[in-house]
Amino acid sequence: MAEQTLSNGELLETPELDEVSTIERCLTFKAGDLILYISTRHVIEIINNYSITNLPLVPPYIKGIINLRGQVLPVVDIQMRMGKSEAEAGNETCIIVLDIDSVSLGIIVDSVRQVIDIDLKDVRPIPLKRQQKLLDGMVTMEDGSVFMSVDCQALAKAQY
Amino acid sequence: MDNGMEGMLDTYLFETNSLLDQLDEMLVKDEKIGDFSSDDVNEIFRIMHTIKGSSAMMEFGSLASIAHHIEDLFFYIRDKGIDSLDPEHKKELFNLMFRSEDCLRGQVEKVENGEPLDTDMDSFASEINQFLKKISGTASEEPEAPADAAPKGQASAPDSMTSAENLPADGSAVCFLHVFLDEGIGMENLRAFMIVNSLKECDVDFRHYPSDMDSNPETCAVIVEDGFYLAFDSAETAAVAEDLLKSQGHIRSYELVMVPQPEPEPPKVQEAAPSAGAAPAPAPEHREAPQKAAPANAPVKQNLISVNLTKLNDLMDIVGEIVITESMVTSCPELDQLNRDSYDNFMKSARQLRKLTDDLQDLAMSLRMVPISGVFQKMNRIVRDMKQKLDKDVRLTLIGEDTEVDKTIVDSIQDPIMHMVRNSMDHGIEDTADERIAAGKNPQGEIVLSATHTSNEVIISIADDGKGMNPDQILAKAKEKGILVKPENEYTKKEALGLIMLPGFSTNQTVTEFSGRGVGMDVVKKNVESVGGVVSLTSEEGKGTTFSIKIPLTLSIMDGMKVTVGRSIFTIPIANIRQSFKITAEEIIYDENGNEMVERIGGFYPIVRLHQFYGIETEVTRPEDGILIWVETSDHSFCLFVDDLIGEQQVVVKPFPAFLNCFELKNYGIGGCTILGDGNISIILDIPSLHTATLEGF
Repeated sequence: MAEQTLSNGELLETPELDEVSTIERCLTFKAGDLILYISTRHVIEIINNYSITNLPLVPPYIKGIINLRGQVLPVVDIQMRMGKSEAEAGNETCIIVLDIDSVSLGIIVDSVRQVIDIDLKDVRPIPLKRQQKLLDGMVTMEDGSVFMSVDCQALAKAQY
Repeated sequence: MDNGMEGMLDTYLFETNSLLDQLDEMLVKDEKIGDFSSDDVNEIFRIMHTIKGSSAMMEFGSLASIAHHIEDLFFYIRDKGIDSLDPEHKKELFNLMFRSEDCLRGQVEKVENGEPLDTDMDSFASEINQFLKKISGTASEEPEAPADAAPKGQASAPDSMTSAENLPADGSAVCFLHVFLDEGIGMENLRAFMIVNSLKECDVDFRHYPSDMDSNPETCAVIVEDGFYLAFDSAETAAVAEDLLKSQGHIRSYELVMVPQPEPEPPKVQEAAPSAGAAPAPAPEHREAPQKAAPANAPVKQNLISVNLTKLNDLMDIVGEIVITESMVTSCPELDQLNRDSYDNFMKSARQLRKLTDDLQDLAMSLRMVPISGVFQKMNRIVRDMKQKLDKDVRLTLIGEDTEVDKTIVDSIQDPIMHMVRNSMDHGIEDTADERIAAGKNPQGEIVLSATHTSNEVIISIADDGKGMNPDQILAKAKEKGILVKPENEYTKKEALGLIMLPGFSTNQTVTEFSGRGVGMDVVKKNVESVGGVVSLTSEEGKGTTFSIKIPLTLSIMDGMKVTVGRSIFTIPIANIRQSFKITAEEIIYDENGNEMVERIGGFYPIVRLHQFYGIETEVTRPEDGILIWVETSDHSFCLFVDDLIGEQQVVVKPFPAFLNCFELKNYGIGGCTILGDGNISIILDIPSLHTATLEGF
């Protein structure tokens, strides 16, 4: 286990240089007021029927663990992770299961929208200093709406 | 190194190590009797031969050379019979063999670690040779032909050996090619067979002797000693073959031998003889003895395969999944909607499935179980060595060697057991026999190493009948070292004895080769605890000391008690539970800080409220509503307050996702999790760390 985390730690530090094409397929989803997107490379599946086992002694944004076909998966409330209030459970609330450099986790989001192509050249940095940096870019779509990019590496680190 | 080589190296190391283990076991056993049985002599010869062959193949020259010399030595002994040695020599032989074994092990270890091997083995080899000379000089007046010929590597052998009497019986042959292979190349029989094959491929008509060299490993020794023969019907073909031989590798020399005159009565045709298992007929005379012994020492073909441990672990995981999934299927709520008949049918099949999965689980678990005898046998050797060095007369008694334990546990308890045996030898048993006699004991000390099973744990105990431990001395020593945590007079006898397991404690004044560095018992304790076990000791002054290790049989599946706290379900290992009981508010005793305690069977135990510690909301806060579970670890005992008991279940322990590692939940009593039959997850409590987190923090 220790070895695995070590190698993960190393992976986290290597910047992603392997972008040949600047077009990236991304899954967009709603979390609170924001529309976020995450590269489909990291998305394993979307589940919506789950029961979360709470864990004691962890920060509140870690909602607990779920049993995904025998695999024990931690679940993060992405809204709380961004320092907001707890996501309200609605009809469309679901868990996106991610695999970020072989760290598996699920994030709770309000609803999943669609898969779109985003040209990474259009992504601009967020011009604000923030304490809890979870988003690392923003992009304006043709219809004028603004999508924010989730920093997967930051997400994969349980603590910040 | 490419993969193929890597795999071969693994196999080589595995084989060589198990051969050395076998040798060790045999030597220790035989030394006790003070004699080698002839079976064992053959066995040692065979072991050395195999090591030599495979080492040579892997090009580990030093290993091959030592093994070669021992092989020579035992060849001689085998030839002459072990009884020809006088007791003095036998004793010397045992010492020599133990040292050879260590030497081989040392080299193998170097191979394992990828270090370069010692190239200079001459001094050790000459020692073996000297011994061989010595025994061959006194053992008999016969000329020391075999003894000399072997170690010197038949430098002058070809001439003397190729006399007509030694030629294989072959009626139709007019000439023979007598071929000698390079010395010490290993696998001689197979190499010879390869040469034979390549000649045959060139359409040369001949017969070869020994005719069963490809299938009978015994011929290897024959070929090393005497080379092998190729029999030709005409001188022309022999000449062709001679030319071809020049292009073959590993041939030291060969010579053409003409048959003096055809035998009057042709012997039976050798090729017709069944090759496998038949003793090679054309063997020179003095080789008869080993061949007679061949059936006895031929390796018993075992139906064993070695499997990579990770595969077994994976199998175990999958079986765990199946067990869980099975109960998920059979307890599926939708089943209630079935009509009666189909429900009965379903349950019938479900019961069958359950039986099969139970069997599967038992089987999968049994695959990982290995007898503990391997570890125990090694102790024989340690006791033997220390006996000589410390000049103490001690016998080691092994009980329950065939007790089976999970492989990972066996690996992790070897060092602790070794350490404790050393401790018992060094500190436990009295220094002199006189001391023992004065104490009214048998002058020969005894260490009893035993292993027994209970339903879910193994108990290993190491008991000596030595001088025992003096709690006061231990206390004084601990005080000197400054490792006491409370006033000296508050320590009970048991607690005082427990002090020796603290880091930095060693009762021996001087550091010896075997113990006394003070890193001993605490490491033992840590190792044992890492596999979920506990160490305890009892000691009576003048009577001896007993260490016991209790270890769960297997780590990945355990019996747990499910309890609820609020909406959470926790699993407590049954092994840690002593009792569960209800109390009333009046029974709770408070200290000055308001910490709760309860009295139980004459002792006071702190109460840990799980809902408080973990911050779980629950309606059960009054002592009357919940239940207390009295848990204990190796050295602590306390009570957990939980809402309710649900029941007992066998659970498969799963580690937490790596994502959560940074929260170090393990340090807060959370050992892992498990998936329950209904698909929910339950958290497994780790009682020792829970104690540390809750009760030692202030």
